[in-house]
Amino acid sequence: MAAVVRAFFGYFFLVMIVRIVGRRPGKQMTPFEFVLIFFIGGLALTAIVGDEVSFTNAICQIITIGLAHYTLAWARTKSSRFARLVDGTPLILLEKKEWRAQTLRFQRVNQDDVLASARDSGLKTLDQVDRAVLERNGEISISPMQATPRKA
Amino acid sequence: MVTEPFSKPVKDSVAKVNNEIEVGENLDFQRKWWRFENVVWVFFTLIILLDLAGLFGRGPIAKAERRSADGTIDVKYERIERTDSPSILTIDFGPSAIQDGKITLYVSQSLVKALGTQRVVPAPLETRIGNGGLTYSFPASRLPATVDLALEPSGPGVYDFTIGVVGAAPVHAKVFVVP
Repeated sequence: MAAVVRAFFGYFFLVMIVRIVGRRPGKQMTPFEFVLIFFIGGLALTAIVGDEVSFTNAICQIITIGLAHYTLAWARTKSSRFARLVDGTPLILLEKKEWRAQTLRFQRVNQDDVLASARDSGLKTLDQVDRAVLERNGEISISPMQATPRKA
Repeated sequence: MVTEPFSKPVKDSVAKVNNEIEVGENLDFQRKWWRFENVVWVFFTLIILLDLAGLFGRGPIAKAERRSADGTIDVKYERIERTDSPSILTIDFGPSAIQDGKITLYVSQSLVKALGTQRVVPAPLETRIGNGGLTYSFPASRLPATVDLALEPSGPGVYDFTIGVVGAAPVHAKVFVVP
């Protein structure tokens, strides 16, 4: 029983930690994120499995995590408030040639990150950017001036 | 039978910015979230500092030492331990502990079962069960004399234990085992 409880708690704890640590800008994982994700995952795994290395325990814990994930996903669809807590909301970083300084600082996003996304969208300068939005998954969406929005 | 409609019309559920782009930004919520994050980071830092201090085991706060009333034994142990994590309980014997060339040491059942004694170093010459615990006999000549118990608690809880030389004043202590 304790193993299932550990798996359940471990899943939600990791979701919370990743939510608190914050979204890093960019659509690909950098080596920095690789270290973070695999390190955290590995540490959680050793604590959750403990010395219960049986196949039965593995199946039960995998099912527990699946159920926990399903519960979370279901709760997100039922409550927009809960979805906001779990996922956050998109945040405008640049609008009409003005930086949202507070958002950049608290989200730990550099102007260079926005420029990189702009270049990825085929834009050469910030003058061509109408809006830059930090999406919930960490990607920066760029809306070019007088063009249809394209995802970065 | 399917009760959900197959499709439904698009409604303006996400707020538009300047009547142009639907972003769904919520700065009120976001500012509250940033404040919450700051509190959480302070809390995390506090947890780490307390952990380094030993409040969750393995640190200065966790270490404890008890001496029996008549000085026959001095026990060094960890008053806060972690589940499935090893630790050493050390018993240093005083002059009156050696009787007839041996030391007879009683340990309560909680030390063996709940606190999970894995090894006794040195190995005792004889082990007797009874009286709610185990009694070990070690051949002994002169001081200093020390016995170590390697512990590994199996589960969280608060456990009392008693340890002492047979016929002398024992040491009673409590160990908190965290998950």
